[in-house]
Amino acid sequence: MQAQTTSSSKITIPIWRVRLNLLWKNFKANWKLFRKNPIGLIGLVIIIIFALMAISHPILMKYVWEPRVYDPVIGYDIEVFAHPSPPSARHLLGTDPLGRDILSQLLYGTRFSFILGISSALISVIIATTIGAISAYYGGVVDMIFMRLADVVTMLPFIAILVVLSAMFEFTGFTLALVYGLLVGFGGQTIVIKSQALSIKVKPYIESARASGGSDMHIIFTHMLPNLLPISFLFMMFTVTNAVFAEAALSFFGLLNIRMSWGIMINTAQAAGYLLAGPEYFHLLLPAGLAITLLCSAFYMVGRALDEIVNPRLRDR
Amino acid sequence: MTIKMLSVKDLTMHYTTSRGEVSAVNNVSFEIEKGQSLGLVGESGCGKTSIAFSLIRLLPDNAQIKNGEIILDNENITAMNKKQLLQVRWKGISMVFQAAMNALNPIFSVGDQIVEAIQAHNSDINIKNARVKVAELFTLVGLDPQLMDRYPHELSGGMRQRAVIAMALSCNPKLIIADEPTTALDVIVQDRILNQLKEIQKRLDMSMIYISHDIAVIAEVSDRIGVMYAGRMAELADAKTVFNAPIHPYTYALLGAFPSIKGKKRVLTTLPGEPPDLLNPPSGCRFHPRCPRATSQCQQEAPPFVEHKPDHFAACWHPMEVKNV
Amino acid sequence: MSDTNALVTVEHLEKKFPISSGLFKKSNSFIHAVDNINFEIQAGSSLGLVGESGCGKTTTGKLVTRLYEPSDGHIFINDPEMGQVDLASLSGRSLKAFRKQVQIIFQDPYESLNPRRTIFDTVAEPLVVQGLGNIAEREEWVADLLEEVGLTPAKSFLFRYPHELSGGQRQRVAIARALIINPSFIVADEPTSMLDVSIRIGVMQLMIELAQKMGVSYLYITHDLAVARYMCQRIAVMYIGKIIEKAETEELLMNPLHPYTQALISAVPIPDPTFQRAAIPIKGGVSAPIDPPDQCRFYPRCPRADDFCKNNPHPPLEDKGDGHFVACYKV
Repeated sequence: MQAQTTSSSKITIPIWRVRLNLLWKNFKANWKLFRKNPIGLIGLVIIIIFALMAISHPILMKYVWEPRVYDPVIGYDIEVFAHPSPPSARHLLGTDPLGRDILSQLLYGTRFSFILGISSALISVIIATTIGAISAYYGGVVDMIFMRLADVVTMLPFIAILVVLSAMFEFTGFTLALVYGLLVGFGGQTIVIKSQALSIKVKPYIESARASGGSDMHIIFTHMLPNLLPISFLFMMFTVTNAVFAEAALSFFGLLNIRMSWGIMINTAQAAGYLLAGPEYFHLLLPAGLAITLLCSAFYMVGRALDEIVNPRLRDR
Repeated sequence: MTIKMLSVKDLTMHYTTSRGEVSAVNNVSFEIEKGQSLGLVGESGCGKTSIAFSLIRLLPDNAQIKNGEIILDNENITAMNKKQLLQVRWKGISMVFQAAMNALNPIFSVGDQIVEAIQAHNSDINIKNARVKVAELFTLVGLDPQLMDRYPHELSGGMRQRAVIAMALSCNPKLIIADEPTTALDVIVQDRILNQLKEIQKRLDMSMIYISHDIAVIAEVSDRIGVMYAGRMAELADAKTVFNAPIHPYTYALLGAFPSIKGKKRVLTTLPGEPPDLLNPPSGCRFHPRCPRATSQCQQEAPPFVEHKPDHFAACWHPMEVKNV
Repeated sequence: MSDTNALVTVEHLEKKFPISSGLFKKSNSFIHAVDNINFEIQAGSSLGLVGESGCGKTTTGKLVTRLYEPSDGHIFINDPEMGQVDLASLSGRSLKAFRKQVQIIFQDPYESLNPRRTIFDTVAEPLVVQGLGNIAEREEWVADLLEEVGLTPAKSFLFRYPHELSGGQRQRVAIARALIINPSFIVADEPTSMLDVSIRIGVMQLMIELAQKMGVSYLYITHDLAVARYMCQRIAVMYIGKIIEKAETEELLMNPLHPYTQALISAVPIPDPTFQRAAIPIKGGVSAPIDPPDQCRFYPRCPRADDFCKNNPHPPLEDKGDGHFVACYKV
């Protein structure tokens, strides 16, 4: 190959360490950009608080609380006279009509929401990115099929479909995440990611890769996907929001076969007739409702802040 | 007796960006007589387009003219407010923008756009008369007047450029600024446009500032040439002098950097380094990091822009004596 | 007609783009972007492909690197072991192996490098794709080549990102990437037109030096005759998909025979205020080659054309002596 070796070019640092350094530098640079947006920071703080809440539940259950009383699904406090009971020293948020501690339910539901939201987001984004990249790269019939499919999926009324499906098949949390992820993954996200992939496909560096002998797989994995990841990550944020909300709605209708979630909390209150029962029963509805709103908003805010970083218009260095 | 049409003294303009102040134009001075054309040549970032925008005062919000005086036909336009400037723009100075394709609104016909320009500056002209004027202008720039009602996308690149030139001429300006009008055009079309511009300029006895990075085009179009570097004017003299006896080392290097299809095939000069970052320009003379003649004085003190020879200005501590480059 | 000693011999190369008239309808209209062209490039020498926009020169460059599939024709490359191999007929593994011989440099230094990959990854990519060397060897080869193209010290450039480099530096990276697998010839598509003037010369001279040092030939595509003169020993002029003249550089510029070449040369501005340039006027503009009629492509605009030119097919390229070829009935 290149015969002359100049000793000044001896590389001493192993490559993996260099790459790690670069990754870290990239992360710090992105963090600096993200930090500038107050909305994103607020969202991030809220998410961190919820994450702490989710982690705290198993710890509390093991070391602080009595499982018999504080279990979110089967606990029952016999020492309190009437259930539902208002907030007290024993039950910081009170108890629900079935005698279960509301705070415990809230914390348990946090973990559930996170898992549901993130898994839906992951499934949908993996599908959308893969299909978007393949559609853009190969074009032709493949592209046409997926885009028409995306059109159809976008037109579907989500909640209605989910309601019908969950009425026909009993959905657990996991199946809901799967179905939701699938539905969203083939829809509008694919179109946006595909258009981003198209703009990458025509760049000269892709042609260079092909001229060196790069296979289709090589180009898709080495060039297209890394350039698509920022936008995919962005979409994940918005998908979490929508997934959590969809679960809440379905649980409210009593259509899901899950043990406990924020939606179930509201459903319990409604089933026992306390939905419109007046301000002294707000503790049955407010914690779950507020939690849903806050978590969804938080992810949305982080998404908006990321949008300003990721958006190719502003990102072009 | 020559009439001074434009006189620019110590023009200084800065952009304020999130990373600091960019010194885009720094103490630039020059004069243009009536009917004369000045060519501004330099590389990207040298400030030539910034000067153009400063003259016509189409500056973005973050740009500020810090200092300087612009006198157009004995009227000081530097201190004018928006309302007064409206009278000056297009009637006093007009501009042919770079990438004219993008200067035309795609949803209106070219004729309508020029009519709009005319009516904006002459409130008493009705549409019929304005259209007659547009037809005259089209003939002047070499376009068939029937093309007036076409849309920009229906015209070729050369035709669009001529339409934009017609628009710039619509209010009989005293001075026209042409900012790289032929960069995106093929060489045969470019040749036609250049000829047309020269002819129009002569016929209307109009002053012109022609901005380009291509020294060959500048050589053909300009009576006088101003060489810009990093926001400052390096040299200013009539065209023949700049080519045959340049005194600024940058001019000399620039001349040597253009291959030509005529004459002997010569060795081209390379300039080491890169054009400077105007956020943090070099101290003293901005060219000193790349100049083969630089001394410590060049690094410490910026050379003044003075008349080294009759009607031959330059900003250099160690001007060259070159004959017949 | 082909000179079997030439490094690259292109014969009857053609590229037609169908104009689609509907989703499933077969198209009857074609854009004849490149229409039956022939040229040679000798080892150690460079050919300039010159013409205005839309003439097909960029398409030719992409055909020769198989980025576009030729509709017809041959691209013979003289391999030291295998003799003349037709690049146009290869596919699969043999195509991939032969890609090592031909590389390309693009016009836009800002878009030809992946912004998310380091300089090292970009320059090493051809090695990775072709399976050459292990990680340590690749690092060394890339570093050495970066030094060759003037990016010193190489260590400091290896792991930077494109946005940290200037236009001229990025173009040098592109040159390094093209050279890393030791091609015998490189297609350069206007590599300096987007660079600043004072940077251009450096890059052009680097390309000339490397050509001599590493034995690489160039197909240099440009619209600028002056640059073609500086870089190439021979020039071919294209017009609407056809080569209408080709000759040694100085011969072409001194003694152009085709009316289009004459008009083109006369239209180039000269950097000398005292030079009186007399441009040869030709009317009209360049048209898109959609289903062109079977006559000389230049007929509608030619000042010398007559009925003979109108009624006969596009003239063939003929040798007028000393390797000076022209496609014109009126010479």
